[in-house]
Amino acid sequence: MSASPWKRLKQSEAFNGYVMVSPTLIYAILMLAAPLGMIVAYSFFKDGYLEVIHEFTFENYIQAWTDPIFQAILFRSVLVSMLVTLVTVVLAFPIAYFISFVVPAQKKSLWLFLITIPFWTSYLIRVFQWKVILNYNGVINSILTGLGIVDQPLQMLNSVGAITVTLAHAYAPFAILPIFVSLEKIDRSFLEAGRDLGESPFMTFWRVTLPLAMPGVVGAVMIVFIPTIGDYVTPELIGGGKLPMVANMIQQNMLKIDNKPLGSAIAVSSMLVVAVIALVFLFLNRRFLRGPK
Amino acid sequence: MKSPGLRLFAFAYLIFLYAPIVLLPIFAFNSGTIIAFPLKGFTLHWFDQLFSNATLGQALRNSLIIAVSTAIFATTLGIFAARASTRYRFPGKPGIMGLIMLPLVLPEIIVAVSLLIVLLGIGVPLSIFTVILGHVLAATPYAIAVLNAAFSSLDKSLEEAAYDLGETKWSTFRLITLPLVLPGIVSSMLMAFTISLDEFIIAFFLAGEQVTLPTYIFSQLRFPKQIPMIMALGTCLVIASIVLLTIAEYARRRGIAKTGAKDTGGFL
Amino acid sequence: MTIKTASDRPTMIEFREVQKYYGDYHALRGISAEIRAGEFFSLLGPSGCGKTTLLRTIAGFEDISSGAVLIDGKDMSNVPANKRPTNMVFQSYAIFPHLTVAENVGFGLRRDPRSSAEKARAVEEALELVGLKGYGPRAAHAMSGGQRQRVALARALILKPKVLLLDEPMSALDKKIREQMQVELIKLQRELGITFVLVTHDQEEALVMSDRIAVMFDGEIAQLADPETLYRHPNSRRVANFIGVMNFLPARVTAESDSHVALEVPGLGPLEVTPDQVAAQTSGGEATVGFRPETLTLLYEGQTASDREAPGVIDEVVYYGDMTYYDIRLDGVSAPVRISMRNVFGRPVLDVGSRIRVAWSPGALVLFR
Ligand SMILES: Nc1ncnc2c1ncn2[C@@H]1O[C@H](COP(=O)(O)OP(=O)(O)OP(=O)(O)O)[C@@H](O)[C@H]1O
Ligand SMILES: [Mg+2]
Repeated sequence: MSASPWKRLKQSEAFNGYVMVSPTLIYAILMLAAPLGMIVAYSFFKDGYLEVIHEFTFENYIQAWTDPIFQAILFRSVLVSMLVTLVTVVLAFPIAYFISFVVPAQKKSLWLFLITIPFWTSYLIRVFQWKVILNYNGVINSILTGLGIVDQPLQMLNSVGAITVTLAHAYAPFAILPIFVSLEKIDRSFLEAGRDLGESPFMTFWRVTLPLAMPGVVGAVMIVFIPTIGDYVTPELIGGGKLPMVANMIQQNMLKIDNKPLGSAIAVSSMLVVAVIALVFLFLNRRFLRGPK
Repeated sequence: MKSPGLRLFAFAYLIFLYAPIVLLPIFAFNSGTIIAFPLKGFTLHWFDQLFSNATLGQALRNSLIIAVSTAIFATTLGIFAARASTRYRFPGKPGIMGLIMLPLVLPEIIVAVSLLIVLLGIGVPLSIFTVILGHVLAATPYAIAVLNAAFSSLDKSLEEAAYDLGETKWSTFRLITLPLVLPGIVSSMLMAFTISLDEFIIAFFLAGEQVTLPTYIFSQLRFPKQIPMIMALGTCLVIASIVLLTIAEYARRRGIAKTGAKDTGGFL
Repeated sequence: MTIKTASDRPTMIEFREVQKYYGDYHALRGISAEIRAGEFFSLLGPSGCGKTTLLRTIAGFEDISSGAVLIDGKDMSNVPANKRPTNMVFQSYAIFPHLTVAENVGFGLRRDPRSSAEKARAVEEALELVGLKGYGPRAAHAMSGGQRQRVALARALILKPKVLLLDEPMSALDKKIREQMQVELIKLQRELGITFVLVTHDQEEALVMSDRIAVMFDGEIAQLADPETLYRHPNSRRVANFIGVMNFLPARVTAESDSHVALEVPGLGPLEVTPDQVAAQTSGGEATVGFRPETLTLLYEGQTASDREAPGVIDEVVYYGDMTYYDIRLDGVSAPVRISMRNVFGRPVLDVGSRIRVAWSPGALVLFR
């Protein structure tokens, strides 16, 4: 009467779950986990002249980390990513707050739609447009000189500032949506309770709204910070190739110079740096992330 | 009116978001060869040049093949994962889902470079096919995000009811589950399609000799002479994506109206 | 109320030592019971006691850890839900929102070899049965709660199941419609003669509707009986408390024989009960007598008891319109007992603090040991 072990296994929820997730999981293992493992392995291999020598060495890491160019590039990448994250999140929060708390319920969809449309148009062209806007004879300079505010066009391109503005634009919806979601989850009666207990609107915001929105803010920081550090296009187009970031260096080593072990070591190193920064950030914000999900 | 300051900021922010896009058609129809003010005159020349460009045609064809394949495969893989994550409990689930969702935060260059090393290592020639492999990986997490929402709003007892009434597991899926998550599937496909059509880095590394729309655009951005044509191309792309998004939103609302569900807002 | 079920009816469902674990959690702890053909059977118990789980083992949605479920004499271990002769009305009704009412009701007929005209007629008949004649072409998601329940009923009944399973079908309805649906369900069950198994946590609903009730606590059946027996002779204090209100007073057994048990109860004095008044629970320790509020009567000035009397003071008065509840502190007892009195025209409601007498009868007591 009792079922066989195989039948029992087949009926168990866990087994069925594994079966269901397996196509996607196998794909992720083959196309993501294995290649990532491979790149770690490569970073410990020796670079021969035309081929890679499968021999364990720390040489690549030593070469990368002692190279002042790599140090400068890594430093710039982290700096730009942090700046971009700061600017993006600080600009995004009021917008998310506005949509969640000010915009009437039936118009929220429309606002989210408006915010996401630019995100769905060609990334390359959007980045390039910032070149058009910030150029020596670009939009801003035309307006400024046209209005007589400056007599000499400003030199705005090829700067960390220009890169930051461009990336902040590119990642805007990534920051707005998580913050919006966490703001939407806030029970409005909490805020009324805060006000009811005699808090000023500002103190209510500071002591109730902001802490409750922190999971969204932390999510926004992660989802902006991590990918921006690997951005290739913006330094190339807006930085004019004069302000490379790690992605440009990885590309150089992988394709142009064809030193795959060194390229791998740079990739692994920068990912480690990102991971450490991200973990420190999560650790500093751990009190906001606890509690029921 | 409440919060005038916030409202003002919101509109300023919208201008910031839309400025690059609004400029596209302005320069696309401008007869001047350099992208600068003041504008010269009206012309359709750049669009002519665009539509008679053979390389671009090839790039568009390649990109469409890649994007359609990506939409289908990423959504299929997304259905399996979203189903598993919303319906089943199993040990190691957070880790497994974490790995699958990883490309969402991983810089694309890392995905591209590591795939490149493996593909070259096992001797797979770079082609459209290898780009599809990479794009499916990158688009699947987005598909899962959309499909998770669709699957989790589906009442489990609907499926049990169909099974109880004599249907098999598969016919239940076909008759009940699929129609009810169809709006989610459509959104997921459109999203994966758009992501793939726009993706540059992975294509840049994995396309080999083949050209896709973004890699073509990137190669042309270096030549000032080509920029007006790229502006025309950008204008077409913006219009195409607005049309696609509107269709997606319309399909979503239709789906909601048809099943009488509550509108919880779409997009991500 | 009379006992409606003849005990010689054949068995429709049999649970044999059914055990169910969710991981480490022991949800069903050895359920053994029989449900007879054509009976209206209820599973009653507090939230989390395992009612739904037990119902779902009949439907086949929950596989059991050990034991067996038999339907119509056949072991169901290897029969999946879609092949069992049972149909279910879900708590949420599970109406397919993308189909019309008629498509919902006719859903189970998809594999039926009959012609589409015959199927359409069957759907129309099923709709008529539940009072939704002519509603077929409507969109299912636009129906009200009560109508959805009818659609769910018609959809389940159209397949002519041997057993209809209902999981808290009334919990989503408001009071008026709920009472109306209760009556309709009873009528429907009598008309069709199908076995109904109802899950509910509402004791009143179970008492009103069922031929027999299984009261469940913590994954076990505490008592299985017809409503009157459950109410009059609960086999434990827990069952007594779950079904209606019962007063308890500590008691001391002074003498015991085959024909009676003699007790000393503070507040009531010495008394005797017959063995059929003794609850089957043999936990030992302290004895307790229990009695329902309506078995006591408050005596007004000049009235005398036909049986026995006890003096006391009114502690609390709760006025319900047709009824008044009095909490009374009997002399020599610290905890109040509750009495329910039907309000009669011309008879005043008494005040808190009044000294009164209460009439009671030893025959209405239950002894728990
Ligand atoms: N899939 C499951 N996994 C783990 N535990 C479960 C599962 N389903 C039910 N349980 C647990 O089993 C117990 C019995 O659940 P069941 O749904 O049968 O209760 P119930 O008597 O129907 O209660 P309610 O009136 O709340 O519906 C509960 O404690 C519940 O938490
Ligand atoms: Mg239940």
